[in-house]
Amino acid sequence: MPQEPATRREAIERERDRKSAELKPETVSRPEAFLRDLKDKKLLERISYGYNGLRAAMGNMATGSGFALGPEFHREDLLGGNLTTRLTALMSTRRWLKCEGEATLPQLAGGNVVAGVHALHRNYSSVDYYGPGPDSGRGGRSTYRFEDTRVSAGGGWRVLRFVRVGGRSGYVWTNVGPGDRKGAISADRLFAEPVLPGIERQTNFTENTALLQFDWRDDPLGPKTGGNYVVQQTWYSDRVFGRYSFRRLDLDVQQYFGFFNKVRRFAFRAKAALTDVDAGQSVPFYMQPTIGGADDLRGFRAYRFSDRNAMSLTGEYRWEIFSGLDGALFADAGKVFPRRGQMNFAHLESSVGFGLRANARNRTFLRVDVGFSHEGFAVFVKFNDIFQPRPFGVSQIPLGY
Amino acid sequence: MRRWLAVLVWAAGAFGAGPKFYDDDPLLEEPAPRDASRAVRRKLSDYYDFFHHTFATPGDRRAIPALGVNTLGDPMDGAWYERRHYWRRMSIEELQRGPIRTGPPSRSARWKVVGVKNEGVTPGFQIRDSANRLYFVKFDPLCCAEMATAADQIANKLLYALGYHVPENHIVYFTRDDLELAPGVQIEDALGRKRPVSSRDISEILLKVPRDSQGRYRATASLALPGKPLGPYRYYGTRSDDPNDTVPHEHRRDLRALHVASAWIDHDDSRAINTLDVLEDWKGVKYIKHYQLDLGSTLGSGSTKMNSARSGGEYLFAWKPAAVQFFTLGLHVPWWARAHFPNMPSVGRFESKVFDPDKWAPEYPNPAFLNRLPDDEFWMAKQIVNITDEEIRAIVRTGELSDPKAEQYLAACLIERRDKIGRAAFAKVLPLDRFRIEGGVLRWSDLAQEHGYGGVGPVQLRWHRFDNASGQATPWDAALRDWPRGYWMAELSASRRPSQRVRVYVRSDGASPRIVGVEHQWRNPAP
Repeated sequence: MPQEPATRREAIERERDRKSAELKPETVSRPEAFLRDLKDKKLLERISYGYNGLRAAMGNMATGSGFALGPEFHREDLLGGNLTTRLTALMSTRRWLKCEGEATLPQLAGGNVVAGVHALHRNYSSVDYYGPGPDSGRGGRSTYRFEDTRVSAGGGWRVLRFVRVGGRSGYVWTNVGPGDRKGAISADRLFAEPVLPGIERQTNFTENTALLQFDWRDDPLGPKTGGNYVVQQTWYSDRVFGRYSFRRLDLDVQQYFGFFNKVRRFAFRAKAALTDVDAGQSVPFYMQPTIGGADDLRGFRAYRFSDRNAMSLTGEYRWEIFSGLDGALFADAGKVFPRRGQMNFAHLESSVGFGLRANARNRTFLRVDVGFSHEGFAVFVKFNDIFQPRPFGVSQIPLGY
Repeated sequence: MRRWLAVLVWAAGAFGAGPKFYDDDPLLEEPAPRDASRAVRRKLSDYYDFFHHTFATPGDRRAIPALGVNTLGDPMDGAWYERRHYWRRMSIEELQRGPIRTGPPSRSARWKVVGVKNEGVTPGFQIRDSANRLYFVKFDPLCCAEMATAADQIANKLLYALGYHVPENHIVYFTRDDLELAPGVQIEDALGRKRPVSSRDISEILLKVPRDSQGRYRATASLALPGKPLGPYRYYGTRSDDPNDTVPHEHRRDLRALHVASAWIDHDDSRAINTLDVLEDWKGVKYIKHYQLDLGSTLGSGSTKMNSARSGGEYLFAWKPAAVQFFTLGLHVPWWARAHFPNMPSVGRFESKVFDPDKWAPEYPNPAFLNRLPDDEFWMAKQIVNITDEEIRAIVRTGELSDPKAEQYLAACLIERRDKIGRAAFAKVLPLDRFRIEGGVLRWSDLAQEHGYGGVGPVQLRWHRFDNASGQATPWDAALRDWPRGYWMAELSASRRPSQRVRVYVRSDGASPRIVGVEHQWRNPAP
């Protein structure tokens, strides 16, 4: 039996004796070492970056495409970071194809001017179509193949702190064919010209766009206060038949009200796409705006309503459940209409619902929305923010902001 | 009665079997350290730290009295802690100087950039001055000039005054011309690939840094600690390669009580990653000294942006609050969300009106903080309230805020938070301290009364003869004037606080009595 220590020092030294007898190097557990290396060796960044910029791309196609996957070449470090390029080829589970390339100069005039070129080819084999106008029936779903190829060049200039102007010019080749969704009838078997302009023959367009944006959101990628107001006018000129030239005006108004230190927010969006034509011209059905789906009327199926004009109103109440997850209650309303003069709040379709938004660094990277309407309910899982700049329908490329 | 008994938590002796007091008690300094030169550097994962602490319960969570203390209840001066301002009042100049012994980087020549960190959200440099001293240079975010550097400076000085080991940090101002690139310096890009640093890299980093009205860059220059860095310490367990580290960290008083200090300065980033073990030299012996560092994410600063309103209010994730928020659809508004923050970019988000020291929480659970008991809180609170208004203002001035209103606001917040901490902690135990024997009579200070928080009222004193070997206390009804040889125990109570007592132990050699032990005792209120 060892003697009791005589002093406090001795008692402490005995503890040290005990510890000294079992000293061993400090180590970390295997899970901890894995997570440490994941960060220190930048494994996620390397996977994300790929091999010399070659990597796998996922998603970012269109609602209804299914899961999309494909190779992407992406570099942001060319010319010392003054040139970014991206080449992507995506194929979805529903055999939709999207190939895209762009080169951008993002740092002109101290970052206030952006210029770039863009090329796109899409072949969406089974886009849903429910018929023209607001009275189309849910049971009238048909499908069509949409193909387009676009090249364009454009740029943007930050004129003032909150104000940006932009423009783009390009050429568009379009094609429409029978849809190949199993169990759905092809649109060309249900509709014919002139009920559905462009169903029998497709044309090529020149496309010229001008944009004005006033953006005072506190954080454009994860706004909690402020607003973003955009007006974009596009002129499409039919270069083959001279029958399908039209103008399209896109309006997008977003407003955010944060309260209780922005852990509660109201977010509103009003969006409209209005087309008009000169005498003897019409808007091809595949270039007309649509509503319904993950971005506007969430209680309806994607592309549920289509006509020459569309408007939608969305309001969300968002609250922080914990720092990485927000809840949302939402109400949507919207309609399509043949004439601009019918742009009003009468005969709106509506839906309500709830959702969850997973955030990292104040960015929504995943959202789940469940919408209810008189046509039933719909569940959407999307890897984006609901108010990201996406136009109505599949035919448009994202607005220039 | 059973339920009542079940919630009785009386502090027990801190040292287990054997006599309660040894002849050399109370020990004010740790015994000379043993050689720890074989300790190796190891890095922890902050991701793992978050998940491990959020979804598991590392460390020993028993509600036992704090360890690593002497019989007076104070940590001993040594590798973890040093008794400072409360025990020996520091002058204003000493408080402002804090840990500074060497000085800022010399201006006699351009600073040589010997390391660069450009990727990520916190760019920075390593520089060597003309005296070949190494400094780590960190900046404010573009949104908030002065915020992170001021917070770092102020928190560093406050933690130093409270006894913690912190690095020597300076606020420095410089221009691009004050820097020159040392040969052979490499930089890691976003993918971890190394390449030589160019002058342009330096300029690009400086593009992310705010400049003052004279076009200068402002930064924190942190002098490299004098030893070999071994990586962070954990807030639980002990280092397996350190013979001197025998007390589980989750039971160390200095770490348990750090919760209170962290609440004061809103150090919600108080986790392993912001600590550092350093192999230092003490009289030729290599031992491990434990530092708090990276305090740029304190007060209203989140280092790279303003603190979030949630900071200090709630863990990043906890099941119960998340469930409450989920099921109430956010109609239940958390207390911290009601805070009002001034529009002061150099302050960030810091306030004192809704601050509640009992509700304050770091970003995720900290085992040492969770183990804290009322006497741990009292121990830190008495040090915090000991820092006067004038001293707080003086320390805040070291943040070199250019806006006088920001400086005043920050000081006012710290003063109000200090008082809230004092009131909260002093309500949980009898706030009696500074025990001394004057003219043969036991004296003490009622800290609550002294600091204007309302005293405990009349204090009753009962003496006991204390048997050091058995721990038995026998009431002693006679007056204690000539202090017979042996151990004596004074039990202090106040009728206004029937569930709280203080035991003061006195050892007398027959001539000169000496206070050798203090224990605060309390009984938890009924649940």
